[in-house]
This record gives sequence, C-alpha cells and structure tokens, in this order.
Amino acid sequence: MKKQNQPITLKFALIKALKSFISILPMILAVILLVGLFQSYITPDMITKLFGYNALSDISVGTLFGAVSSGNPIMSYIIAEELLNNNVTLYALSAFILSWVTLGIIQLPAEASIFGIRFTIYKNILTLLSTMCIAFLTTVTLKVFF
Amino acid sequence: MISVIIIYIILAFFDPKNILSSVFKSIDILLQIWPVFIFIILLTAFINYFLKPKQILKYFGEESGKRGVFYALLTGIISHGPLYAWYGLLEELRTKGVKDELLIIFFYSRAIKIPMIPFSIAVFGTPFTIIISLYILLFAYLQGKVFSHLYHK
Repeated sequence: MKKQNQPITLKFALIKALKSFISILPMILAVILLVGLFQSYITPDMITKLFGYNALSDISVGTLFGAVSSGNPIMSYIIAEELLNNNVTLYALSAFILSWVTLGIIQLPAEASIFGIRFTIYKNILTLLSTMCIAFLTTVTLKVFF
Repeated sequence: MISVIIIYIILAFFDPKNILSSVFKSIDILLQIWPVFIFIILLTAFINYFLKPKQILKYFGEESGKRGVFYALLTGIISHGPLYAWYGLLEELRTKGVKDELLIIFFYSRAIKIPMIPFSIAVFGTPFTIIISLYILLFAYLQGKVFSHLYHK
C-alpha cells in the first residue's frame, strides 16, 4: 500500500536516478578519456625535473601538476613517494597530493556545464588558494612542532 | 565528448602507440570506478525516494546552520570515487535547495580520503597526515563561508 506521504515509487526513483546519470555520462566519459591521455603522456620523471627551487615555486608547481593530473588518488601518493625519494620538498608534495584530489583542469568544462561558469570559477579559485595555503601551513607546522 | 574523440583521432595519426595506451588506461579507469557509478545511482534513488525536500532542506538548506556544515564535512570525507562521478547527484540536490556553501564544503572535505590515510601515513608519517587533515577541514569550512559571502553578493 502506497504511503500517503511518499509521492514516488522506488522504481520511479531508480529510473529517474538512472536517467539523470545517463544525461551526464558523455561528460564523464570525456573526462575519463582525457585522464587516459594524460597518463600516457606525462611521466613522473617529467614532473620531478620541475621541483627544488624555493617554497613558493614548489607550492605553485606542485599545485599546477596536481591540478592537471588526474586518476586514482593512490597514484598521487605513489608519485609523491618517488618525488620524496628524489628530495622534492614537502611544500611541493603537499600541494601536489592536495590539488590532485581537489582541483581538476580536465573536469572544469564538465563542472561549468553542470554548475554554471560563475560557480565553477569561484569554487576553483577558492580551492586553489586553500590548497596553496594548506601546503605552506602544513609544512611550516611540521617544521615548528616536529 | 566529441572534442575529445576528435583529439584522439588526430593524435592517433601521429602517435598511435600512445593513443592505444590512452584507450587502455581509460578502460582501466572505467573498470575501477563503475562500482562507484552504481553506488551513486542507488544513492540518488535512495535520496529521491526516502528523503522529502523538507528533510533535505532541514539538514542542508538555508536554515541548516552548523548541522549542515557538519553533515557537509562528514559526507565529503566518507564520499568515494572521483569528483565528476558525483556531479549529477550534487546538481540534483542543488535544485532541491541544498546551500551552495555546503556543496563547496563537501567538495573540499573530499580531499580527506579515508582509504588513503594508510598510504599517507606510510609515505609522510602520522603527524603530517593529522595536520593536513585538520587544515583541510578548516579550509573547507572557510571556503564555504567565503564562497557564500562572495557568490551571493
């Protein structure tokens, strides 16, 4: 018996959810294809060569490369470990692993298409600034207290 | 999607080996994340069926207050999979009245990934992991506040 305060059936809810997902599936597939492309062309060796100058430079480069990278976050830690073994600073690595999961240049068009350009711009600028601040503060906090 | 396919076709003429590698890597990613898509579809259906708009607004709407912030942080931390997999659900919640500020908080608190904590501890150590996690929560909250102030000006 249908409850009076449940206006939709479970079947309807499932179909609606599926339709909603299918509507954005082309964008999701496009993002996945771009990620595949990136993983084929950008190697950890390329990334290592760009670090090791100063805190601001390392944070900026780390943030940038995290932002253009994409994929399973485990990969960011694997790459970070390799970079750590090559004496890349914590400033760079904090920024890199953080921007890997919070920023995504590859998915910006999809994000703007769904949430609007204004929302996307504000969100990503705030995320960028936060990531750089956190990378700096985390490293400095560790140096001061540990 | 069409633009990406065109890029692939063009690059395939110049570098077929890497393009083939890209295709396989993309398939690999899809195979890894399809369970997340199923989860999100089911979660979306669950929310549509069980949660009335009034309830969503109570926890995540304009009057949700500190409770909304807490739930946004919590759901961000426990959410799984790539961010773009969640776009559909989040957009739907947004149309149902979820505050943009809480979406921003959710987006950034996703930087804390519970399954990655052991990796983080193994590579960077426990102090680093705890400190960066606390800063992520703080800045997720601050981002929400700043976004709310700037975006709705």
